[in-house]
Amino acid sequence: MTTDEATKSEGEVQAAALAERGEDITPSKDRGVLKIIKRPGSEDESPMIGDKVYVHYKGKLANGKKFDSSRDRNEPFIFSLGKGQVIKAWDIGVATMKKGEICYLLCKPEYAYGSAGSAPKIPSNATLFFEASNAGELVELLDFKGEDLFEDGGIIRRIKRKGEGYSNPNEGATVEIHLEGFCGGRRFDCKDVKFVVGEGEDHDIPIGIDKALEKMQRGEHCILYLSPRYGFGEAGKPKFGVQGNAELVYEVTLKSFEKAKESWEMDTKEKLEQAAVVKEKGTMYFKEGKYLQAVIQYGKIVSWLEMEYGLSEKESKASDSFLLAAFLNLAMCYLKLREYAKAVECCDKALGLDQDNEKGLYRRGEARLLMNEFELAKCDFQKVLEVNPQNKAAKSQISVCQKKTKEHNERDRRIYANMFTKFAERDAKEAASKTGVEKTAEKAACEKGSKTPG
Amino acid sequence: MAVDELQAIIQRCQILEEADFKGEDFNLFQVAGQKCLEDGYAAQLLEVIENEKNKVIIKNMGWNLISPLVRCIFMYKQEDDKREHCLRILDQLAQLCNPKELFLGLLEQIEQTSGEQVCQTVMLLLQPLQTVLLKLQNKKAYSVGLSLAMIMNQLTPLPVPYTKQQIQEDKLGLCQCCNAVVDFAKPFVNEVVKNTEKSSEYNDMELKEELINFCMKSLKYPLLTAQLEQLEGIEEHPFRHFATEIIDILWNIGELIPLVFGHHKGRGPHWENQEFADIERKNSADSLACLAYLMYVQHFGAECFPMVFSPSYLLLCNMPHIEVLLKRTEESVLSKGLDLFESCLLRIEDNSLLHHYLEFRDFIDVPQDLVKVMTLCPMEHMRKKSLNILQLFIDKFDTEGKYTLFRCLLKTSNHAGVEGYIIKNIKDQIHIALTKEYENIWFTGHHLISLLDLVLSLPEGAETDLLQNSDRIMASLNLLRYLVLKDCEGDSQTGVWTTLGKIEQNFLKPLRVGLNMSKAHYEAEIKNKKENRKVAHSSNTVCSVTVSGEKMPAMTTGMQLQVLHSALFTFDLIESVLARVEELIEVKTKAVMDEN
Repeated sequence: MTTDEATKSEGEVQAAALAERGEDITPSKDRGVLKIIKRPGSEDESPMIGDKVYVHYKGKLANGKKFDSSRDRNEPFIFSLGKGQVIKAWDIGVATMKKGEICYLLCKPEYAYGSAGSAPKIPSNATLFFEASNAGELVELLDFKGEDLFEDGGIIRRIKRKGEGYSNPNEGATVEIHLEGFCGGRRFDCKDVKFVVGEGEDHDIPIGIDKALEKMQRGEHCILYLSPRYGFGEAGKPKFGVQGNAELVYEVTLKSFEKAKESWEMDTKEKLEQAAVVKEKGTMYFKEGKYLQAVIQYGKIVSWLEMEYGLSEKESKASDSFLLAAFLNLAMCYLKLREYAKAVECCDKALGLDQDNEKGLYRRGEARLLMNEFELAKCDFQKVLEVNPQNKAAKSQISVCQKKTKEHNERDRRIYANMFTKFAERDAKEAASKTGVEKTAEKAACEKGSKTPG
Repeated sequence: MAVDELQAIIQRCQILEEADFKGEDFNLFQVAGQKCLEDGYAAQLLEVIENEKNKVIIKNMGWNLISPLVRCIFMYKQEDDKREHCLRILDQLAQLCNPKELFLGLLEQIEQTSGEQVCQTVMLLLQPLQTVLLKLQNKKAYSVGLSLAMIMNQLTPLPVPYTKQQIQEDKLGLCQCCNAVVDFAKPFVNEVVKNTEKSSEYNDMELKEELINFCMKSLKYPLLTAQLEQLEGIEEHPFRHFATEIIDILWNIGELIPLVFGHHKGRGPHWENQEFADIERKNSADSLACLAYLMYVQHFGAECFPMVFSPSYLLLCNMPHIEVLLKRTEESVLSKGLDLFESCLLRIEDNSLLHHYLEFRDFIDVPQDLVKVMTLCPMEHMRKKSLNILQLFIDKFDTEGKYTLFRCLLKTSNHAGVEGYIIKNIKDQIHIALTKEYENIWFTGHHLISLLDLVLSLPEGAETDLLQNSDRIMASLNLLRYLVLKDCEGDSQTGVWTTLGKIEQNFLKPLRVGLNMSKAHYEAEIKNKKENRKVAHSSNTVCSVTVSGEKMPAMTTGMQLQVLHSALFTFDLIESVLARVEELIEVKTKAVMDEN
């Protein structure tokens, strides 16, 4: 018997055992995914939907031929559970596993690659085994973590119950949710509420919930761990007795939602009408000092109108005036949020629409001043004065710029003075220890020489 | 005599210490050596170089001979003994010279070559360059990177052979050269692999980054523009071979999977300047798209590819690559985009792609790019293929997805032919909804009515250019005819009967008016033309048409008449279907009224 045949019969034996004794773990009980536990897990906890899971596995076809193994790649395979990233059998199978568990899975084509197969290795209508080799590898769940929604550690989600369907509320969608807020184990909020995503602040809901809702599905029930930045920030929330810089935990159920229209679904008239509405809203948030929320509202105007073509003359005038206001206000918000580079970007766009805009020039000057670009800032303020010689604020900003430039230069001088003496000392040392410098000089001389006769 | 001059300078230097060589000596040595080569005394020069006594001199001064040496090698014929001597000199220099200077000398030669000599020069110098790099102590990673970048930059302006004949001929030697460059890189790849094996902590990040850069460059040129399909009669397709080697390198240094799945972190410096960051991203976008093509369409590296991803997730991952490729106009690149899109779609079962994928920007943008290819690409087979792929894309979505996609395409395509095609698809979906047992809420009832609002209307009312929009109008009328025939008014599953008033107002009425106006206009025009013909036979050119710089012959009155008649024929066609639809509506409404 050749080795090929040996593996084949081995594959068949295990497949048969699985088919016979395996537990049917499909929700519809159609025996599409069968499982046998080879080694129970070390802990009792199973991964939740959306968790980042780490597994080792080895997969074979019905004929015993190995088609894939994570061991060949020398690293565990990582994916997000329950998100349709992997074949259905895996989303179902891995969700039943405990940390440290090792199991066999038998997957019918309907739960794998179906009639289409997956070129070049998986043929049409193939049943897949994820199972043991001699070394005893199969599907092994190594570890899992809650999902980091924005890859910045700011919002961690763990899904308790998966939602229906796959569509998410977008910014501006109307949502109905149930939420419970906890801080240090104490429940400070519990309510059913209906609001517009991006405007949760109106109901004392922190921005992190708005952001997380955009990644939730209808009916989803999850736990959200918010860092202070996505919570109530430095200010805290006295109304709830939440101190500044507090970590929050929320349990949220998204009961239903109505999506806001996507940009491409709206015609120009609708966009212009809505722009007026959201501009008002943005200004309201801004006045209350809720800059993150204001950014969302002004951002909508930009997303609707910035790339809109084929406008009539009248429409284009209205659109430009909305865009100008949006960019100027966004610049102001970013200044307040200390995101100066973004502020400058918005001013640039505003000035692209109206190159002598006083507010645009002034705000860009402010942003640049705060980024320590004194010369550029000065230019901006000078331009403000060209447009409006009466602008006293700009005048005083110019003298601030000059003063700062001077301070800065003096500091530089001190730093560089030290640096140059250090460099000089180091160079002297190097020159003494190495003759390499001379050699390069020599080479340069030779090159010169070679060019004259040729 | 040249040899004597050389002997003189050699003898003078033999007694000197290494440190005592002067600039003058370097100069004299170079002049004498060059003269020897030019006068055909390569054999004698070789003798001098091989002489053990001259080792130190050659070590210091030898690199000066590289430039004349390369010139001579190209001068002599392949079988000339002198050429053979020159090649041995080159070999000796690589062994004997100071690596640092020889490295710069060799690089300078590669930098200076251009045009037809590029590949020859590169192939000649690769071996010595490799020898020297392996001897370098300091800045090795940097130097390897510099060499590879220099070589690739020199090759990049060369045209990539595309047809089978061009590949076989390999006129400039590009195919051969690319594969030689990979062999050149192999020892450095092995070095990275060895270091990684030694300890997982110690990672020669610098050399690794340089090799990644080389692979990325190679993916962009020549691979992105190269023909990579298997060719009959060519056993070892040079670019397929090259592609395999590049993928092997990426796999061996452990970067293949991270690159394909975008997990590669911290590549290159973090650019402070946004513009540089954008350029970098744009550059790597082309390379990554080519890599995706190689892996998913040509199955290079399939052995190491995880086989547990779901097909729709793979499509999602590839959408950005497809978008990059479809935005290009070169046949070689565009066809890769179409192939990649097709290959991703073929893995998915019909009706199984969930509509929520349409929330990803790419899923809306890519079909729009596809429409551009369908309508603007000058190559017919590409237009046809892109139409097939659009259909495939539509077929894969679930009903809600199809519905949303149709809406989006109707609003964005701006092309009557495409709109007509979408409307035909809508008709097919309604047919399925009406014949299948399970409920389909998207192509019946109020959702359908809102879609019909888009379909059964004229963009500019009665003033719409009917000729331009004839494809769309015919498809709309066919759909309406189907609806009134198929859907009995009693149950009005589609909702068409309840919305008839609106259809009449927005579509049928303006269409009738438009038809009458257009027909009258064209008939008057024909009459005009005919009368004019009788009056003046000459100088009836109204305007001239230029197609890609060539002036088209002026249309004769006869041709103009023909065009006008064919327009009239189109109007007649529209009118006849319109009449049929109106008749059907009338009969059905009457029947119902009679019943009541």
